[in-house]
Amino acid sequence: MKKLVFAVFCLFSLGMSPIPDQTCDSESFATACIPKLANGFNFLKSYKVDGIAKDKVEYSYVFTKGTQYLINLCANGTATDGIVVSIFDKERNKVATSKVNGQFISAIAYPCNATGIYYIQYTFDDPSAHCGGSALGFKR
Amino acid sequence: MRLLILGITTTLLVSCSSGKKPDDEAFLKSLENETSAGAGVDEEVINSILEQIPSPLEISVLLKESGSKYSPEMLNPSTNIPKYNSNYKKALNLGVYGTDLGYTNIFGRNSDGIKYITSIKSLADELNIGQFFDVVTIGRLAANSKNLDSLLLITTMNFNHINHYLQSQSRDNLSVLLLTGGWVEAMHVTCQTAVKNPSNLELREKVGEQKIVLEQILLLFSFYKDDANMAGLLADLESLKAAYDKVEISYTYKESTMQIVDGVAVIKDNSTTTINITPQNVEEIKNVTNSIREKITS
Repeated sequence: MKKLVFAVFCLFSLGMSPIPDQTCDSESFATACIPKLANGFNFLKSYKVDGIAKDKVEYSYVFTKGTQYLINLCANGTATDGIVVSIFDKERNKVATSKVNGQFISAIAYPCNATGIYYIQYTFDDPSAHCGGSALGFKR
Repeated sequence: MRLLILGITTTLLVSCSSGKKPDDEAFLKSLENETSAGAGVDEEVINSILEQIPSPLEISVLLKESGSKYSPEMLNPSTNIPKYNSNYKKALNLGVYGTDLGYTNIFGRNSDGIKYITSIKSLADELNIGQFFDVVTIGRLAANSKNLDSLLLITTMNFNHINHYLQSQSRDNLSVLLLTGGWVEAMHVTCQTAVKNPSNLELREKVGEQKIVLEQILLLFSFYKDDANMAGLLADLESLKAAYDKVEISYTYKESTMQIVDGVAVIKDNSTTTINITPQNVEEIKNVTNSIREKITS
């Protein structure tokens, strides 16, 4: 009987085992990023940045002239954990990046002067696993 | 001992079940008559386009900052809700009321906002997505005008959750309708305000630049041509596109510059767009938008 109880307990424990190291809970990071938007910015979107499943993560959004957008980054450990966010215009010209002279910046403020579709791209500084989240806000 | 074994085994069986909540099942059942995108269409493509559509809240903020006065008569009355009997109409008007709620919030008209909160909750419940709309918290925040930031935050989050849920359930067609309803209502309010203020160039340009959003919405609708309701709305949106064909938008790229201020990379965007739109164009766009909105809200 004790063996049966032990076997059932082991099965139960397996089902409840912690998430393996290589899983990225990017949703939690994305949610955590929302209240970190600077004062005066209204929340628009939160983005999951799972650098384990993919080596590049991209979203897009229509930015409008006369509006200032803020994109921030949240990750475990050091401020951005090697995650870089870059913005590209509709012609794929890079108009902003959070990696400046080798330094990782945790937020980009983009006062848009040209309405159009912009691509918000997250890349990773080295091949190791990266996991994080990001939020987009706006103000006039 | 037997009880212990029984308890543990039951727990295991429950934890190994499908994990589908009753709400999920009810939702899927309720949408049996709806159609999703045509075969072969990549849902990831649809979702990425859906994510591009700007929030109507951006327009409401512009309207307030342009000095235009609060005009509730432009909005869809919250009492219209009994008119919406199909999932198609419910999803569209959930979007319409979402825009109206944002508008009342931005102008700090909380008593009007509460009426929209009630209508939104009702429509969301009927679509079995009411669990994502935290009406108690929103109602509490709306009771005090000092809570505007929190109110805007939570309503935006609730609508984002609804859209993500619909997309994850492969019911992206409802997500498309929700966003389209919200956009048409924002267009209606912007056009009405622009026509009343013909000297306000920024408002006129705001109407003009919606051409970019319309192109994305048309792209989304092209995936649902087999759905009679959506094909009908697509035809109406095509007539709006015809009015927009007279509006010209040109883009000039110039490399941006940047400086770091308080740990934030602050960009100076040196690119420009020029939007050529006349007051007559605005009038025509307003009339077409109005006829589309009439069909949606009636």
